[in-house]
Amino acid sequence: MEPITQEDVFLILKLIEESKYDEMHLEIGDLKIDLKKQGNRASVADSKCVSEKTAKPVVPVPPPEKMKKDKRALDTADALTDESGLIPIKASLLGTFYRAPKPGAPAFVEAGQNIAADDTVCIIEVMKLFNTVKAGVSGRIAKICAKDGEMVEFQQTLFLVQEAGDLDEGMRKSA
Amino acid sequence: MKVARVFVANRGEIALRIIGACRDLGIETIVAVSAADRESKPAKAAGRAVCIGPPQAIHSYLKVQTIIAAALGSGADAIHPGYGFLAERPDLAEACEENGLIFIGPTADNIRKMGDKLLAREMSRKLGIPIIPGSEMVATSDEAQKAATKLGFPVLIKAAAGGGGKGIKTVNAPEKIKEVFEEASGEALAAFGDGRLFIERYIPDARHIEVQIIGDRQGHIIHLFERDCSLQRRYQKMLEEAPSPVMTAELRERICDAAVRIAAHIGYENAGTIEFVFDQDQKRFYFLEMNTRIQVEHPITEMVTGVDLVKEQINVAAGNPLSISQADVKVSGHSIECRINAESPDRNFHPSPGRIDAWDPPEGEGIRIDSHCYAGCVVPPYYDSLLAKLVTWGTDRFDAVKKMQYALDHFTISGVDTTVPFHQHILKNKDYLEGRINTRWIEDTVLGEYGK
Repeated sequence: MEPITQEDVFLILKLIEESKYDEMHLEIGDLKIDLKKQGNRASVADSKCVSEKTAKPVVPVPPPEKMKKDKRALDTADALTDESGLIPIKASLLGTFYRAPKPGAPAFVEAGQNIAADDTVCIIEVMKLFNTVKAGVSGRIAKICAKDGEMVEFQQTLFLVQEAGDLDEGMRKSA
Repeated sequence: MKVARVFVANRGEIALRIIGACRDLGIETIVAVSAADRESKPAKAAGRAVCIGPPQAIHSYLKVQTIIAAALGSGADAIHPGYGFLAERPDLAEACEENGLIFIGPTADNIRKMGDKLLAREMSRKLGIPIIPGSEMVATSDEAQKAATKLGFPVLIKAAAGGGGKGIKTVNAPEKIKEVFEEASGEALAAFGDGRLFIERYIPDARHIEVQIIGDRQGHIIHLFERDCSLQRRYQKMLEEAPSPVMTAELRERICDAAVRIAAHIGYENAGTIEFVFDQDQKRFYFLEMNTRIQVEHPITEMVTGVDLVKEQINVAAGNPLSISQADVKVSGHSIECRINAESPDRNFHPSPGRIDAWDPPEGEGIRIDSHCYAGCVVPPYYDSLLAKLVTWGTDRFDAVKKMQYALDHFTISGVDTTVPFHQHILKNKDYLEGRINTRWIEDTVLGEYGK
């Protein structure tokens, strides 16, 4: 069985929220989820997650209210005082960070831009060897953390991405 | 040229040693760290630590291009390679030159000339410096057989690209030579990318004597006398001392003179060590090989001469003449170094990585410890197992021995196994104390009696 993803959790949440039922019991293989609506909102934080074999909680997700706040914060200048919940794209090697394929060319990505997992987001150059870096995650570029033309270290955070799952949920909520 | 910011391309105690020397000279430092060394003492001691890659050395400390990119990217003007890793890689020295960085070490040409052990032997022979009787390159096991028969068994089969005790095999009898030759050839090719082999006569009662030299770009070369590194296990040094207890004034003068002539012949720059095998039966020495780097055991030379070799390396790499002349170099007293490794002497020196729970080194007059360890630090499994170099200095050998006995007895390390108990055993051994040892002594005598 495929492991349950954050996206799946949102789908499940959506399911119960839009339903007229107050409780939901879900079993997928060894994974059992009990969800209960409290008042008007449902949240994973309030629900009981039981995985019999792994005993691992499902992906921790902030309650919807907070996510809406995050989405709003993204549009403002003082965004991302709280960067938790964003996915970092890290440097897989040490080298010089370039945002564009060549000097003067437009950057691969800009802040706020939507990206797919196999989009190239930058180049890291090591002694004339140019290594393209793929996003590895789909979503929206929330922040560019490295400076063009400067050295980045191994595992240094280059970009912060708001993952697609978060984004959809956020947009659906604010719509 | 001025050296204002040094990039340290190494880890552990030698990285800390280089950072310390730079600090004294008012030079800024940046240290390369792998992901496993982010929290290391050198990372904290340097002006900046730059993470160059994952823990495995092959993807971090051994990547020439990454080291150069990191040095350039952090605004360094020089690279110190320490020992091991890239220290004897001519391509690093060359890449430094191409990128306007100073390599704190010999030239690429120096490293190449001495890296090929067959070429180095030939050069020594031409200079009239004795080499161990042996063969030219042997291409087949038949050639090896012929050469070995002429020399007389036992013989050593050595890799032309070897060195530092690597790529050596002993053959005791003619019927074994084919098998050992094939094995050695394959191993040399795999380890050094060069399968060439040659054969040397085995000298049964030998000491390992080496001479520290340093040269500047103006062509001055001086020696800083000898070290005796005869206490070895599997060709790896365990305990070293300076001066050698078996050198007479006449022998010392000849061996140091030979070392300077070899270095001068190739226009050697920076610090290096010429190694010799001393035949105790015949009272003769033979050129073995040259190591084109600062060595692990350099502190004992510093203790008896008062010269800071790492500072002098930086000085000459910047293009300055040596700050001392041969006449300034005098030996005073005696110094011993014990290599404290994270190894279990009780389990055939099996590596013992892990977390060091307690670390309480000895203190006192005449005790020096070069180490990057502290209580709570982790000894990662990826690198060599050296934890500390415990060095003592005494007015004479007896005094240095007494201090070492005390220091070993008062070195508390827990969490990992160490070679401290093994050194304690050696330092109480009558043969060691009276100087009746050779390069085979640990393996032939000590290992058998240790733990009984």
